[in-house]
Amino acid sequence: MEVLKEKVEEEEEAEREEAAERGEKMTRPLETRREEPPMTQEMLRDLEKKLSEIEITIPEQPLIVTKDTIDISKLPLSYQSNTLKEEHLLQVADNFARQYSHLCPDRVPLFLHPLNECQVPKFVSTTIRPTLMPYPELYNWDSCAQFVSDFLSMVSLPDPLQPPSHLYSSTTVLKHQKGNCFDFSTLLCSMLIGAGYDAYCVNGYGSQDLCQMDLTRDVCPLTMKHKEEVQEEEKVPPKKYAIKPPRDLSSRFEQEQKMKKQQEIKGEKEKRWKEEEQRLLELEKAKIDPLHGLRVHAWVLVLSGKREVPESFFIDPLTARSYSTQDDHFLGIESLWNHKNYWVNMQDCWNGCKDLVFDLGDPVRWEYLLLGTDKPQLAVAEEEDDGMNDDEDMENLGKEDEDKSFDMPPSWVEQIEISPEAFETRCPNGKKVIQYKRAKLEKWAPYLNSDGLVCRLTTYKDLECTETLEIKEWYQHREDMLELKHINKNTGLNIDYFKPGHPQALRVHSYKSMQPEMDRVMEFYETARVDGLIKREETPKTMTEYYQGRSDFLSYRHVDFGDRVKKLALNSAESNPRPMVKITERFSRNPAKPADEDVVERVFLIPEERIQLRYHCRDDHITASKREFLRRTEVDSKGNKIIMTPDMCISFEVEPMEHTKKLLYQYEAMMKLKNEEKLSKHQAWESELEVLEILKLREEEEEAHALTISIYDTKRNEKSKEYREAMERVMHEEHLRQVEAQLDYLAPFLAQLPPGEKLTRWQAARVKDECLSDFKQRLIDKANLIQARFEKETQELQKKQQWYQENQVTLTPEDEDWYLSYCSQAMFRIRILEQRLNRHKELAPLKYLALEEKLHKDPRLVDFLKVFV
Amino acid sequence: MQQLYDSVEPRVMDADMLKLAVGEQGPQEEAGQLARQEGILFKDVVSLRLDFQNILRIDSLWQFENLRKLQLDNNIIEKIEGLEHLVHLVWLDLSFNNIEAIEGLDTLVNLEDLSLFNNRIAKIDSLDALVKLQVLSLGNNQIGNMMNIIYLRRFKDLRSLSLSGNPIADSEDYKMFICAYLPNLVYLDFRRIDDHTAKLAESKHQYSIDELKHRENLIQARLDDELARQVELEKHKAAFVEHLNGSFLFDSMYTEDVEGNKLAYLPGVGELLQGYKDKFVIICLNIFEYGLKQQEKRKLELDTFNECIKEAIQENQEQGKHRIAKFEEKHLLSLNAIREESDLTNIEVRIVEYGEDITELFNVLMTLEMQLVEQLEETINMFERNIMDLVALFIENVQSLMAQCRDLENHHHEKLLEISINTLEKILKGELDEDLPDDVRALFVDKDTIVNAVGASHDIHLLKIDNREDELVTRTNSWCTHLVDTIHKDEIMRNRRRVKEINQYIDHIQNELDNLECGDVID
Repeated sequence: MEVLKEKVEEEEEAEREEAAERGEKMTRPLETRREEPPMTQEMLRDLEKKLSEIEITIPEQPLIVTKDTIDISKLPLSYQSNTLKEEHLLQVADNFARQYSHLCPDRVPLFLHPLNECQVPKFVSTTIRPTLMPYPELYNWDSCAQFVSDFLSMVSLPDPLQPPSHLYSSTTVLKHQKGNCFDFSTLLCSMLIGAGYDAYCVNGYGSQDLCQMDLTRDVCPLTMKHKEEVQEEEKVPPKKYAIKPPRDLSSRFEQEQKMKKQQEIKGEKEKRWKEEEQRLLELEKAKIDPLHGLRVHAWVLVLSGKREVPESFFIDPLTARSYSTQDDHFLGIESLWNHKNYWVNMQDCWNGCKDLVFDLGDPVRWEYLLLGTDKPQLAVAEEEDDGMNDDEDMENLGKEDEDKSFDMPPSWVEQIEISPEAFETRCPNGKKVIQYKRAKLEKWAPYLNSDGLVCRLTTYKDLECTETLEIKEWYQHREDMLELKHINKNTGLNIDYFKPGHPQALRVHSYKSMQPEMDRVMEFYETARVDGLIKREETPKTMTEYYQGRSDFLSYRHVDFGDRVKKLALNSAESNPRPMVKITERFSRNPAKPADEDVVERVFLIPEERIQLRYHCRDDHITASKREFLRRTEVDSKGNKIIMTPDMCISFEVEPMEHTKKLLYQYEAMMKLKNEEKLSKHQAWESELEVLEILKLREEEEEAHALTISIYDTKRNEKSKEYREAMERVMHEEHLRQVEAQLDYLAPFLAQLPPGEKLTRWQAARVKDECLSDFKQRLIDKANLIQARFEKETQELQKKQQWYQENQVTLTPEDEDWYLSYCSQAMFRIRILEQRLNRHKELAPLKYLALEEKLHKDPRLVDFLKVFV
Repeated sequence: MQQLYDSVEPRVMDADMLKLAVGEQGPQEEAGQLARQEGILFKDVVSLRLDFQNILRIDSLWQFENLRKLQLDNNIIEKIEGLEHLVHLVWLDLSFNNIEAIEGLDTLVNLEDLSLFNNRIAKIDSLDALVKLQVLSLGNNQIGNMMNIIYLRRFKDLRSLSLSGNPIADSEDYKMFICAYLPNLVYLDFRRIDDHTAKLAESKHQYSIDELKHRENLIQARLDDELARQVELEKHKAAFVEHLNGSFLFDSMYTEDVEGNKLAYLPGVGELLQGYKDKFVIICLNIFEYGLKQQEKRKLELDTFNECIKEAIQENQEQGKHRIAKFEEKHLLSLNAIREESDLTNIEVRIVEYGEDITELFNVLMTLEMQLVEQLEETINMFERNIMDLVALFIENVQSLMAQCRDLENHHHEKLLEISINTLEKILKGELDEDLPDDVRALFVDKDTIVNAVGASHDIHLLKIDNREDELVTRTNSWCTHLVDTIHKDEIMRNRRRVKEINQYIDHIQNELDNLECGDVID
């Protein structure tokens, strides 16, 4: 306690000096308030007034939410008043604060019950409303924190040296998407506790960077490279019969000497490098903050134990970053609370938070406000004795007058709700910019940009952010599946990354220009392609392709191109492909063939008409067979064409075989290779065409940049919307029909009877008979109606026919046409009427029976009719 | 027509005929010219057609080792013969001949398509070797018995069958029967069997097929059992302790022992024998268990050794390959450089340089090989020592257990002798109450006879035990020596092969260089 006192005094002194320096009227009410009696409502009002005065003196710092923007009348009752229990709690808190100020007169008053948006004092713990969000993305702490930091925009505290006078409910904060660090912490804490974490709001002191959400001295987490996991090679114990290495005959002294020299050089290099680093660090270092250690900040503490959290850590809600509890940014803790209790830190913070023990069950280190609630018992076995003693201490501290069974009243805050739209939009207005050290991160909501851009990271060379180094752009919902665009300004290299699903199965495309026949690398999703292409590299003169999983075991093809030959203008319409000079193809081992017949590499030297083959190596051999074919079209002395001579095929065979010596075999092999050469040439040419096609497609996609809409996205998907509306319409109609089905057949007949009287058996029978006879009449009427119409149509048709017979000779073709069409239509009508009549005849008895059945079952008649049955 | 056939003289399959056929059916045009220049060896021929040749007897085909497809249709062949050497045959057409029985196909294990259309075959059999058979054409024959179909059930890959034109095809049930009994068949008489027919057939003949299947399953199960037993026995044999996991040895001691069996009738001997047997079997079981354990140990040792040797060789090979690859890269460049060089002195210098490179490569490769040989030798010697020790330990322990057996036998012998003499005394005194069989009673004439009888029994027992022990020891030892010999021989062979390979390669490169020099000189 002594040290703490000194520290506080020091702080006060520093602060006073600081205030004097600023020449502002910044009286801290700490001194005056220390002697004050416990806070009453009036006192709080007073305080609030004072604070508002202070705010006025610093007009550039706007209020969190100006009062007129909050419509108090619309807020629920719990916001506007306190329940009895809450009043009681406030009294308890006041009592606690009084005792606390009495026992620790040097410490700052506690942050216990700030005013809410309706100017009602509310205890901080009741402001936390544990809520589990319906979004699975918000189930883990990191995504939760990220959401809070994205969703709200930060407003600095009115006075950086004091906790705020107001603490609004999370619902209001969410509505306005603005808040200070206390609002951030409260919201995040509510969400984390809802998700099952052991989370606490912390009121304490932080560094300037932390309090002002200044990330310009931090490296952007996106630019950090993933540490490659160094896999330690497992030392296999030497096997029993492992051979001994050959004797080492080199001089050990010479080796040592060499090593020494190398180490010297290395050391020198390292030294220089370190110096450079030092210099750079110095440059980057911030100016010393005069208010260091006094800036009030609020953050979230997550204790280990629940949700498989292995170690306690802090989350800064403003930046959504997690820190270890030993981090330099956190300079002290006054108090912390969750939705159940409130603890005051009794430990010394001279060394920041580094030495704090977060064992909230230890009353020496953490003074709690309410006794009855379950407190986390983290006490380690060896500290248990301390705990025993502390129980007595606690009694000494004078808690007796507290209601031991008193527990925290439920939260006054309404349920925290985030609409799906707001969740998707995230940042206020869907846009957010964060400045990091040598980097700028911009975020947008999906579908906000028409090209699907959701995130852009710009990296700069210098601290002032003037020289761009590289730009990374993330996209979402692109129809062409573009996911990430990486532009390196230094080298001019562009790399596009695609998700699976591009029409050409493109995975990565890195290029400097979109012109064909330039340096570029395309990688593909090889499983989506028929030819199993993984990668195609191009330079102005070569093209290299890598394959996988092909049935012909081709794994590599390299094509060298020559200079383009000038073509005659005659057939300029055709493209002028570059001549191929050399094609190298490599194959993986085909287990079905013997190694001596399985080609590993074949080289076509096209202008020389030379073909080189190299075969796979046998399992127990170190040399592989080779064969070289040289096609020469010569004429022998007699003028005959030479088909094949032994010197046209030079071969080395690991195990010479008889049949391969034969000219016929060699000739056939050569012919086959000639064909395959043609095929390879064709494939290379097709590859070139494909590159052109992809480039064209990319350009089109770039221009169109259409976005896809998921079928589950009910708001944006027009089709599903239409479908849904149609479904609703159908449902509505269905409903109408059902209403109709429930029509009461008996109603008109029952109405004839005197109302309010019970039916007699006779009456019931009569009602039923009447109903049935009525229905029968209806059926007959309907049949008659159809019959009448049918007859009428027939008569009319006959009349027309008569008329036609009479005037057939004098008719114009148009009239005849008209007559014929009329006839066909009339016939159609007659046929339909006939069908309807037949159908009616068929159905009528059934309908009649159905009605009778129904009437039998009618609850009003059933009792009377049963007897007849 | 018939007369025409009769009047034509049957031709003999001789070399000329074959040569002509090969020449006609061989490569054409440019390749044909080459082929004529060089001549075609019969063993390079893959496909041969000999139709409409009036061949009566298949002959002279033994040279066509690599033949895949043979057509002998439309001849007058009466007997399938002379095809034993054509083991690679996949396609055989013998349709339109006068064959009366299927025979002579036992070596054609690769045959997939067999056509015997339009012959005089009455029975389907002798096809057991044709496990890969897929298409069988037997139309227009004289197959009259439906039961022939059941024979075809053993061909699991059979997909197409034609039997039209046979007496059985006239039967009403023909199609259904075949579909039911050959469910894997897809085409019958070159028509696809539709699913409906297959289902109908199955339901029609369900009972008989189920019975057949049951029988087949039983046979299969028995075969499997037999196989499993065989495997188990092999395993025990490898551990040299076969038939020791029971009373086999004990029983064998008594099978040839006439007197011993007779003496078992004596009072008290029954219990004695039972006790003896129990103890004996326990020792046998001990030997058996121990043998299996030792076998495991030996196997583990051998596996580790093989693995290590393989790894070492692999590594050495990789090094060698790497060297060669490096050399080849350089080699290509220097050859080109030499070719393009115009200055004669420069050529000289380069050639010398290149020659030196070749020598160096040779040295490096040989050094690698010698190094490996040394390393392997050391390892092999170590392994040899260890395996010898293991075997010696095994034999020693088995011998001590066998000695226990012998002790038991001696003990039993003494007891038996005692009982026998007691019995003899009783018999002599006429005090024996029990009835003994006559041949047993015959032994109890005087003391010498009975002692001899018991002694003979004892000798036979000891002999049996000794024999078993000897067998075990000799076999174990011979296995060990054989193993070590093989390892040594293999290593020597490997070394020879590698040295040969290196020399061959170096010769080849040297030759290339020499050729170049010659060419230069000529230029």
